[in-house]
Amino acid sequence: MTQDVQAIADQLEEASHQHGEPYSLLDRRLEALEMMKKLPMPRMTRYRFNDWPLLSDQPLTFEDSDPKLATGLIDQDPDVIRIVQVGQTTTTVQLPEELRKKGVILTDIFSAARIHPRLIERFFMNRVVKPDENKLTAAHLAYLNAGIFLYVPKGVEIDTPIEAEIIQDATKDQPLNSHLLIVAEAQSKLHFLQHLQTVGDKTVPANMMVEIVAQEGSTVAFSSLDELGENTHVYFKRRANIGRDAHVDWAVGLMNDGDTLGDMDSELISQGGYADAKAIAVTTGAQKMAVTNRVTNRGKQTTGLINQRGVLLEQSELIFNGIGQIVHGAHGAKADQQNRVLMMSGDAHGDANPILLIDENDVVAGHAASVGPVDPEQMYYLMSRGIDRATAERMVIRGFLGSVLTVIPAKNVRDKMVAILERKLADGQKY
Amino acid sequence: MATLEVKNLHVSVTDEETKQTKEILKGVNLEMKTGEIHAIMGPNGTGKSTLSQTIMGQPGYTVTEGEILLNGENILNMPVDERARKGLFLAMQYPAEIQGVTNAEFLRAAINARRDKDDQISVMDFIKKLDRNLALLDMDESMTERYLNEGFSGGEKKRNEILQLLMIEPSFAILDEIDSGLDIDALKVVSKGVNSMRGANFGSLIITHYQRLLNYIVPDTVHVMMGGKIVKTGDAELAKKLEAEGYAGLRDELGLDVQLVDDNH
Repeated sequence: MTQDVQAIADQLEEASHQHGEPYSLLDRRLEALEMMKKLPMPRMTRYRFNDWPLLSDQPLTFEDSDPKLATGLIDQDPDVIRIVQVGQTTTTVQLPEELRKKGVILTDIFSAARIHPRLIERFFMNRVVKPDENKLTAAHLAYLNAGIFLYVPKGVEIDTPIEAEIIQDATKDQPLNSHLLIVAEAQSKLHFLQHLQTVGDKTVPANMMVEIVAQEGSTVAFSSLDELGENTHVYFKRRANIGRDAHVDWAVGLMNDGDTLGDMDSELISQGGYADAKAIAVTTGAQKMAVTNRVTNRGKQTTGLINQRGVLLEQSELIFNGIGQIVHGAHGAKADQQNRVLMMSGDAHGDANPILLIDENDVVAGHAASVGPVDPEQMYYLMSRGIDRATAERMVIRGFLGSVLTVIPAKNVRDKMVAILERKLADGQKY
Repeated sequence: MATLEVKNLHVSVTDEETKQTKEILKGVNLEMKTGEIHAIMGPNGTGKSTLSQTIMGQPGYTVTEGEILLNGENILNMPVDERARKGLFLAMQYPAEIQGVTNAEFLRAAINARRDKDDQISVMDFIKKLDRNLALLDMDESMTERYLNEGFSGGEKKRNEILQLLMIEPSFAILDEIDSGLDIDALKVVSKGVNSMRGANFGSLIITHYQRLLNYIVPDTVHVMMGGKIVKTGDAELAKKLEAEGYAGLRDELGLDVQLVDDNH
């Protein structure tokens, strides 16, 4: 057994060397590997997922994926700011020279570790998410095999959205441990748009992490359209540390076809920070999804909002936990959350759990939750204009999800999300 | 020519909490043809809205007796959307708000719902028709890209109901208190919209408390409803008489044993 452990560590070291990684990264991988032994799997309030294959027993390997796999999945547009990764391979980086000159960095995480070691040491899995949180966060670092680094220096404002197309290569029997690190320095401003897709149908786990460092006075709008494949078991962790007077907006569309477990966290660590965490989910077939959206008010006069909407079709299962925590000393903090799920089938299982943990008096906190069928008043209104039941239902659902759909900055992504939604709903209505 | 007939209609509703059933309509008879404008007047709580919702097919109302015929065909077993496609329209008192669906998108879906799959309205034709009707109703073009009724003022909602009427062009439109909450300018605009529809292929049933609306949309026939029945039918002069004498006057004249909701005596 000891030998096995040593053999695993040796393999990891060998792979890291082959990959030309700096020792600082290798040391952290080995530390994380050590942690994995002791750490438990993540826990989720009111949900069990013990039997999900979220950990792979595959060794760390680096293999190129064929860039052609992305054909048809991505529109070519030389004018957008964009990074494309297929499996572990970065196929495109489009960053205007003007931004490069201002010090903006957009690159894959391993190049960043070599070229910008100081930044990576300072920010990567060090301040926002730490590897010792659970077995999967440790595994993420130990077996990290893809990722993106975005750095926006102090005072730089980028008006065009920065797009990341991440395509999981499930033509190979290889897990994806992909890390996105966004550092927005003081007073900077950016929109980030992440799109996750899968090619191939191998049954593999994907451990997808996003860390956002929003420094003082910065504004970060983060949108994500997740449409990973049916046989991909997804664990995601997305967290932002939100500094003084910084502003982070999340707009996340969870449209994966496979089982998905995830957390979104907004840490309002300093005075005047603001977080608005919006997420929508659509579940179909026998799919299971459990999402915890947490906002923690630590600083004074911080505002944390959660709005989650889910639609359940067929025999799927969806749990939305919303956690609004106000810690002692966060005077004048505000926390408000809505968790709503719409049941489109009697065989689906949905739950919306608002949880408020408040340890300060001088705060404003509220919550709303609902689980139910489509609004009959809305259905009646649409149908009274001649629109058939199935179409009316889809329109009401789009309305129900509208609070997130409408805040996605790029129209093409918004349209794409609507198209996926329409397809899932149309399939689900046949059930 | 299309016809709408309501025959001996009895309707009851069940209170969701107390489970008690109450009969609202107690034998309504009504006949109308396209080319005609009918008005139904009556005091509060007399079943006017129940009649309009039942004709449209709101699932909360139970028909216990009688029938509703559209062009001779009984529509009571048809779902709401089918009745609409057959030519019925109800301008609602409290239209639902639907976020995420634009007014324009909704209007196109409604128009296309009554056309064949291979004969959908073209974008150009749609926009032309929309622009014409927006102008007629003195509505801003930006209304079409707003989400359906979301954040609309009371007056905007009413105009939007009439915009739908003009776009969909039904055979029969029931206007349920389209005048409530409208100022005089908005009332004129809404009336102009309805009057523009007047013609051999359009009939309307206007439900109102007040005679004022009928100065702008002059009806061919006026019905007075009390206690769940139509108690008197006449021409436009009947509305004026009611305005002058009140419902209590007519009730006493007809010797009806009906309690008026707002009757304090």
